[in-house]
Amino acid sequence: MENNYPYLTNQVYIYDNDFISLLSLIKTLLKNKIRPYKIEGKEYNPSLFENIINIKVENNSNILRELKNIFGKENMQIIYYVYSSCENNKELVIYYYLLNYFKFKDNLIRMRNLRCVSEALRIKEKVAREAHKFKGFLRFKELKSESLYAEINPDNDILFILAKHFQKRLKEFNWVIKDVNRKTYAIYFSQKLYFANEEKINLKNVEFSKEEESYEDMWKEFYNIIGITLRKNDRCRMNFMPKKYWQYLIEMEDER
Amino acid sequence: MDIMEKLTILADSAKYDASCSSSGSTRTNGKFGNTAYSGICHSFSSDGRCISLLKILLTNICIFDCKYCINRNSNNVKRAIFTPEEICQITINFYKRNYIEGLFLSSGIIKSPDYTMELMIKTIELLRHKYHFGGYIHAKAIPGCSEYQLKKLGSLVDRLSANIELPSNESLKLLAPNKEESKVSKIMNYVKVNQNKNFTPAGQSTQMIIGASLETDLDIMNKSENSYHDYKLKRVFYSAYIPVNQDKNLPILKMPPLKRENRLYQADWLLRFYNFKVSDLLDKNHPNFNVLVDPKCSWALNHLNEFPKEVNSCTYNELLKIPGIGVTSAKRIITSRKFFKLNFNDLKKMGVVLKRAQYFITCNGKYNLNATLLSSSFIEKNLFLDDAEKEIGYGKQLSLFN
Repeated sequence: MENNYPYLTNQVYIYDNDFISLLSLIKTLLKNKIRPYKIEGKEYNPSLFENIINIKVENNSNILRELKNIFGKENMQIIYYVYSSCENNKELVIYYYLLNYFKFKDNLIRMRNLRCVSEALRIKEKVAREAHKFKGFLRFKELKSESLYAEINPDNDILFILAKHFQKRLKEFNWVIKDVNRKTYAIYFSQKLYFANEEKINLKNVEFSKEEESYEDMWKEFYNIIGITLRKNDRCRMNFMPKKYWQYLIEMEDER
Repeated sequence: MDIMEKLTILADSAKYDASCSSSGSTRTNGKFGNTAYSGICHSFSSDGRCISLLKILLTNICIFDCKYCINRNSNNVKRAIFTPEEICQITINFYKRNYIEGLFLSSGIIKSPDYTMELMIKTIELLRHKYHFGGYIHAKAIPGCSEYQLKKLGSLVDRLSANIELPSNESLKLLAPNKEESKVSKIMNYVKVNQNKNFTPAGQSTQMIIGASLETDLDIMNKSENSYHDYKLKRVFYSAYIPVNQDKNLPILKMPPLKRENRLYQADWLLRFYNFKVSDLLDKNHPNFNVLVDPKCSWALNHLNEFPKEVNSCTYNELLKIPGIGVTSAKRIITSRKFFKLNFNDLKKMGVVLKRAQYFITCNGKYNLNATLLSSSFIEKNLFLDDAEKEIGYGKQLSLFN
C-alpha cells in the first residue's frame, strides 16, 4: 500500500472523532508508510474525487503511553493541543509532525522552517492562549445545592484543560462546566472528574442559591468602581477582553 | 453601613494602586484554592487594566495627610472599615465563582501603624487558617510597623510590599509629610533578606507616582534601577498621577500623563529583560524619554552605526537590542539557527515584528531594503510618524506634551 506520490492521492482516512482513535490511525498510517491526502472525522462528506478509506486499526488503550515513550511528553502535549483546536487540517498537521519526528528527533520542535512545525506550534499557542483566557473569564454561579455551574463558549475544545485547572483549584467543591458550542460537560463530583455529553445529563430547571444574586451585584459594583474614569480606554480593554468573551461575563451584562 | 456600601467606598479608595499581578508564587498549601505561577487576569476594567485580585482597603480612615491621596486626613470623604469576617466572606465567595485570583489588601492608617497592621494580620490569618484559603494574597505593609508584624504577615501572604510613592526624598517631604523614606526602605530590606518559599514566595514590588512631582525620567529610572538592585524587587509599578485633590504643591493637570507612564514601563522592561542600563537610555542632556519614539527604537536610532546586525550570527544580547525582536523571538532565533539558516520568512514565523526589525537586520547577508535607506531620518519618517499620527488620531493623550 506504499504510496510514492503523496500529492496525487485522493485517499481520505477516517477516524472515530476522539484523540485515541486519531492516534491509532496515524500510528497505523506511519507504520505502513501511507501518505494520506486527508484525515477526517467520521461525519466527513467527501467531494466527488475523494476516496473514503476506513482502515482497521487496533484499538489499544495503552497507545498514549506507548506514543509518549516514542515521542516524549512535550511533543505529545503539543499534539494534544493541536487536536483540541478548531483548525481544519489539524489531523494532517499532527500526522506530518509525527512523521518528521523520526527524521529530526528531539530537535524537531526547533525546526520552525518546516511547515508542520510552525503550524503545530502556532495552533498549540492559539489553544493555550484561549485556555488561559478562559481560566480567568469563566464564571461560576452557585446553585441551590451549593454546587457551582459555569457555561463557556470557546472556539477550541479546551474543556479538558480547564477541568484539570479547576480540579486543582476547587477540589473541595462540586462543579459543572458546560461547553455550549460542543454541548459537552465536565463534571466534578465527590472529588472525581467526569466528562459527558448532552444525552447523559439532565440540567434543566437549575435554581441558583439565595446568595448568588447579591454576590453578582457586589462583583458588578466592584468592577464598575475599579476603573479610573480619567484613564478610560475602550480600545485597550477590547484588545485584552474581546467581545466574544462577554456573553458569560457577569460584569459586562450592562454593556453587552 | 451594609457590606455593599463598604465595598463601594473601600474599592473606590484602593483603585489608584497600580499593582494587580498574581504571578510568581510557588506556594502549594491550602485546601481551598491555589495560585497560578503565570498569574491569571480575570477581567479588564474600563481603563483597560487587568483585574486579577480583589483590590480593597481594610479602611480608608487615615491619620496621614499625603497631598495627592484621595484618603488623606483633610479630605471630607465618606469613611468605612471592613471587619475581618466581611473581607473573608467577599474574598472566598468571589474566588469560588472565579471572579478573582485572590486578595490585594492595603489600608489607610487607623490609630497607628501597629494597630493597622494588627487588623490586617487578623484578617489574613482568618482567611488562611479558618477558611484554609490557598489563593493569592498581596498585602501592603504599613510603614512604621514592627518587625515582628512584618514577620507574621510575610509568612501568611504571597507578596508583601511597600510603596516608594515618590521618586525622591524631597518630593516625599513636600507631598507626603508624614511618610519617611527610611521606613519604607526598612520594610523592603526586611522582605529582601527574609524572602523564601515560606515567606512572601512571590517577592515584593513597589510603586511610584509619575507626574505629581518634578523628577525627570532619568531620576525615576535611576530610582528604579537602584531599587531593583538593592531590594531584588519583582516589579516597579509606575502610576500616572491622577488629580483627585487640589493643593498648592500639586501640579494642575487635565489628563494623567499616560504616555509618559507607558514609556517608563517600556524602559523598565528593557532594564529587567533586555540587559539595558539606565545610562544607555538617558543622560543629563536627555533626561526624559521621547514621547513619540519607544525607548528601544530611540536607542537603536542613536546607535545606527552598530546596525544592521546579521541575525544568523550575532549574539543573544545583540538580538535583544534590535527593535521588533523580543525575548521570546530572540530565544527562538538562538535555538533554531543551530539547525538551519534563517530567512525573513522564518523570522516572521518566530514572532519577529518585521515592520520594525527590517531596518536593523540582515538575513544571510541580505538587507530587506535598499541599503542606502539605513538612516535615522528615513526610519523615523516611516516608522514613528506613522505611529504618532495613529495615536493622535485615537486619543488626546499626546496633547499634553505638544
